[in-house]
Amino acid sequence: MTIQQAIFILLALVILGSAIFVVTTRNLFRAALMMMLTFFGVAGLFVLLEIGLFAVAQVLIYIGAISILIIFAVMLTRGMQGMVPRNSQATAAAVVAGIIFFVLLLLFGPLRTTVDVARWPVISLIAGNASPRDVGGIQWTPAGQPIPPVPETYIADFGRALVDLNQYLLPFLLIAFLVDVVLAGAIFVARQRRPAEVIEDRQRQAEEAAEEAEAMRQAGMKPDAAALPEGAVASTADH
Amino acid sequence: MNFINDLLKIIGDFIAGIIQSILGFSPFLADLVTMGLAAVILCTFAALSFMGLTYVERKVVARIQDRVGPNQAGPFGLLQPIADGIKMFTKEDTTPATADRWVYNLAPLVIAIFALTTYAVLPFAPGVVGTNLNVGVFYIIAIGSGSIVAIIMAGWGSNNKYALLGAFRTVAQLVGYEVPMLLNVLPVVMLTGSMSLIDIVNRQTTLDGNPGIPFIVFFPLSALIFLISGIAETARSPFDLLEAESEIVAGFHVEYSGMKFALFFLGEYVNALAVAFVFSTLFLGGYAGPILPPYVWLLLKAAAVFFVFMWLRGTLPRIRVDQMHNMNWKFFVPVSILHLVVVMALMKLFVTSPAAAQANGGILVTPIVQAAILFTASALVLIGSLAIAARRARIMRLQEEALVAQRRAENIAAVSA
Repeated sequence: MTIQQAIFILLALVILGSAIFVVTTRNLFRAALMMMLTFFGVAGLFVLLEIGLFAVAQVLIYIGAISILIIFAVMLTRGMQGMVPRNSQATAAAVVAGIIFFVLLLLFGPLRTTVDVARWPVISLIAGNASPRDVGGIQWTPAGQPIPPVPETYIADFGRALVDLNQYLLPFLLIAFLVDVVLAGAIFVARQRRPAEVIEDRQRQAEEAAEEAEAMRQAGMKPDAAALPEGAVASTADH
Repeated sequence: MNFINDLLKIIGDFIAGIIQSILGFSPFLADLVTMGLAAVILCTFAALSFMGLTYVERKVVARIQDRVGPNQAGPFGLLQPIADGIKMFTKEDTTPATADRWVYNLAPLVIAIFALTTYAVLPFAPGVVGTNLNVGVFYIIAIGSGSIVAIIMAGWGSNNKYALLGAFRTVAQLVGYEVPMLLNVLPVVMLTGSMSLIDIVNRQTTLDGNPGIPFIVFFPLSALIFLISGIAETARSPFDLLEAESEIVAGFHVEYSGMKFALFFLGEYVNALAVAFVFSTLFLGGYAGPILPPYVWLLLKAAAVFFVFMWLRGTLPRIRVDQMHNMNWKFFVPVSILHLVVVMALMKLFVTSPAAAQANGGILVTPIVQAAILFTASALVLIGSLAIAARRARIMRLQEEALVAQRRAENIAAVSA
């Protein structure tokens, strides 16, 4: 067993162990922390594959941003103290993870030695008419053969591939556009609204609710007080 | 002279030689042991500098505030850090009854680990570097985001309102200030054409026909914003909102005592020192410098940067949360992006290598002229943006004053009526 294999087994144990912990633990906060450990293990796998760029990006994006956001969401959805948020989605998560694992096994696992471009419309779109062994700039190594070393200039190659019209320019631009749209949407949703606007909105909501309640009353039904905003309840109480 | 210049490298080679030849280890094992030794030495250096820095900082801040500072333990109070250490060790190690034990106890370790791993890529002298990562700059920024995890763990694990509030503030601040930090490292990376810290230092020396000008001359705006974001990233005053004593007691480490608290303290100082080192490496030329040995130059530069940190801490009041976010998202980020675009265009327009000029077009200039052009552009963006910000701030202040005057007049009228 070479050193690389030993490190790989160690990393795999860390990843699998923490991933199992993520789906089995009842404590949601600890699950999020353990997910960070999983991401860290994956970063270690990237280091083992000699692509430091992806390892560092994994740490920066998945641990430094996404996991932190998840923890933040966990903290904000429940009470600030006392309650420990519980995980009730373990079964669903396990099923989804299993399905994805199975699909990945079918596509990239030991069963398949080459990637069929015809079955991969997205990759063939990106790669143009590349040969099956050389898809999208990635050299797919058939099973059982030694992996060629990562070229010294892989960062520069990666950067050029992102802006090359024949490689990843289109997905890159699409993702950039998507991120822009999401940013603009987030700003629109979270924007500070002027007081006049807020009052107008509340009035309209109250009026709508009152009208609805009136219609229901006329139809001979009792208005459902719990479903109405506070202002609307006060206005219907006059009748 | 050469011996003194290469002292660190010679010592390192000597130890490696001993391990390999005298102890008879295989090359792989010898490498492993040498690396381990180097890591231990680096970590010890960082931890020891933490002890020294607490003393120096207390002395400097005391001077600024017209006090004497620690002066009881030993001559000039020099033994104060040791006294502090003994105090920390003998304190009771408490754990809140409702704390999440694992998370609570792991947090100080995590912050210390992430703080120390930054030193792995810092070049201290030619050939003296933990590991020459070709993504060094990116690595430093990614590792910096790791301390957020530790602070969240501490804030949540303590099961304390103040601690959690401190953690919330931390996330907002540290995640936010990562953006201008990255944006202002980019000009340096683009000009160097590499993310390796060694290449970045070499680009600032006179090697390979480079002009030997530090990057602070090329990009004064980037250097300034990087420095300020660095202070915000390490949560030092005036950005110490996450542990603001007057607002949320001590923030995320309110429940920690004894050595666990000391580890947080260590993480904070080691992070700040790392930012000083990284700033010196990126913008001040790293170990490059005349006459003195390289490692002395790096230490001098880092010490100067750290002195600026202490100076700011002794001078400026803590800023408010809204001011902190406004400064980041409404000033630093847009200005950095504008600066990036301007500098990018100029770097494409004025090239220094004939090969690049032939391949991609562009005007061929000498490196010094290129530096002058970039300096002018960067300084213009800086002055222009500062002028706009100052004008806007003045208008807002005047509006506020007018509003206050109007209210006062109304109040007086109401009272007299």
